[in-house]
Amino acid sequence: MSDIAFFAGSIVFFLVAVLYVHGCQSLKGGGGHA
Amino acid sequence: MTTNGWLQIAVFFVLVLLAAKPMGLYMARVYERKKTWLDPVLVPVERLLYKLTGVDADAEMRWTEYGVAMLIFSCATLLLTYALERLQHAIPLWNPQHLAAVEQYLAWNTAASFTTNTNWQSYVPEQTMSYLTQMAGLATHNFWSAATGMALAIAFIRGISRREAKTLGNFWVDLTRGTLWVLLPICVVSSLALVSQGAIQNFKPYDTATLVEKQNVTATGTDGKPVTTVVTTQTIAQGPLASQEAIKMLGTNGGGFMNANSAHPFENPTPLTNLMEMFSIFVIPAGMCVVLGRMTGSPGHGWAVFAAMSILWFCGVLTCYWAEAQPNPLLKGVDQHVAMAGPAVSPGGNMEGKEVRFGIANSALFATVTTDASCGAVNSMHDSFMPLGGMIPLVDIMMGEIVFGGVGAGMYGMLIFVVVTVFIAGLMVGRTPEYLGKKVEAYDVQLSMLYLLIFPLVILGFTAVSVLLPAGLSSLSNHGPHGLTQILYAYTSSAGNNGSAFAGLNANTHWYNTTLGITMLVGRFMMIVPMLAVAGNLATKKIAPASVGTFPVNSTLFALLLVGVILIVGALTFFPALSLGPILEHLLLRAGTSF
Repeated sequence: MSDIAFFAGSIVFFLVAVLYVHGCQSLKGGGGHA
Repeated sequence: MTTNGWLQIAVFFVLVLLAAKPMGLYMARVYERKKTWLDPVLVPVERLLYKLTGVDADAEMRWTEYGVAMLIFSCATLLLTYALERLQHAIPLWNPQHLAAVEQYLAWNTAASFTTNTNWQSYVPEQTMSYLTQMAGLATHNFWSAATGMALAIAFIRGISRREAKTLGNFWVDLTRGTLWVLLPICVVSSLALVSQGAIQNFKPYDTATLVEKQNVTATGTDGKPVTTVVTTQTIAQGPLASQEAIKMLGTNGGGFMNANSAHPFENPTPLTNLMEMFSIFVIPAGMCVVLGRMTGSPGHGWAVFAAMSILWFCGVLTCYWAEAQPNPLLKGVDQHVAMAGPAVSPGGNMEGKEVRFGIANSALFATVTTDASCGAVNSMHDSFMPLGGMIPLVDIMMGEIVFGGVGAGMYGMLIFVVVTVFIAGLMVGRTPEYLGKKVEAYDVQLSMLYLLIFPLVILGFTAVSVLLPAGLSSLSNHGPHGLTQILYAYTSSAGNNGSAFAGLNANTHWYNTTLGITMLVGRFMMIVPMLAVAGNLATKKIAPASVGTFPVNSTLFALLLVGVILIVGALTFFPALSLGPILEHLLLRAGTSF
């Protein structure tokens, strides 16, 4: 693998993590009641 | 087990106990931006940093903003470290051994490792990393990743203590203040103390010493035949070691400047430094319990969490010390000097893989402390422990490293368990669970469980794949249950961001460098995000006054229930895997089989 692949792979991981932040936030709207 | 050994363990714990309150009160003042005695020196530095970076120190962040800021910072520093490793040969600075560029897979694994506070090392540092890479790429991460963990714990505590608030603080401010006020001052003092004991601090090229006795070393040649070489000299690695050692322990990082880590006399020269290093691992996490009590206005709750952590710590060190104090049963009947069972020679027990100057008690204690926290530094080789002794470090990590835990990470991991405990306690009494006056609702429990489930998923998933693939099995040194433990330990250590190695497994392969790197990133960031979401949600809630139905979280009952939940939810998840690894190995060893 090239350096560019590792760079790109790392950036993709963190972009997915940012989407995950918004996924966790949006989960609140669909939550039930305790 | 000896009285002397127990006395040393007791002294260590008393020191941690005594330091927890002053450390915690100081940290609370730092994060609450109250006056401290270091302000005259550090406030101008802090202001300059904000001015240079354009940070508005008074701007508050929602949990999503806090999380994204943390992710951006981590991504940028990961890429910088990767670039530095790849370019170290081309930078004519602090590379007296002219070390080559770090290989791609290894460079990425190491960058992910140090960014996530794991500090797993698939390499021999003194043969791989230039002094510049060690300082600018790795030691800096020791500060940043630790300060990030502390900032996240403080954000969670703010989530508990604030009422009807939308924000959790400012990530950049928390990161800066944790580094400047907490980590740097302690490290300056600690580095000098280490140097006073014999730790080295220089930029010299490596020394060469002539051996008193020539050594014949046999290795396999390129044609597959054994080749014997006469070795007459030894290379003695040098470097700016003490400064890195200080933050390695204080920041619960654990990545050694030398391959032997804290078993190396330059990293851990004396029994006193051994005590200092173990104390450094626990001092901030123990102080975090006091921060919790202080910032939530419930000191008793902080001490209840401290008590739960102490119970688990004691159970771990007791089991590990007991297991290591037993001689290997396969050595019965052979020379008792070899078996080390004779009281005239030593107190007895398993000394394989241990430093004679530290002995069994301090090796068992160090192994327990380093894995209770997410440190991962070692002063003995866990692979050489008896099966049950080696299982304790593994279980410590599997519980989520919440026994004092990593700096910050231990506290927010423990608080997730607290949320689950409060929820279970609420179910028991049939009321809506409350945590310090805040109702724990479905969203909080869902995300807490997401946090708790990602951890075993990534560990057991990658372990299962690795035992099925030739790429996973080809670099094992032992087979049978011990081999399984080596693989399980590697993924557990990575997901837990611990970084200690069970040894025996050569992880410097494309398969392990890549998958362990992914495990570290998932184990850090995919768990932090739901944790922050819980914190953000708790911050928005009202605080209801306590009633007769409120479950007190500052009681002995709460501490015991918390321990129970950790053991049932955390440790039992891994019991089947443990039964195929160290437990089976223990039983087979008793039956006369070793691996």
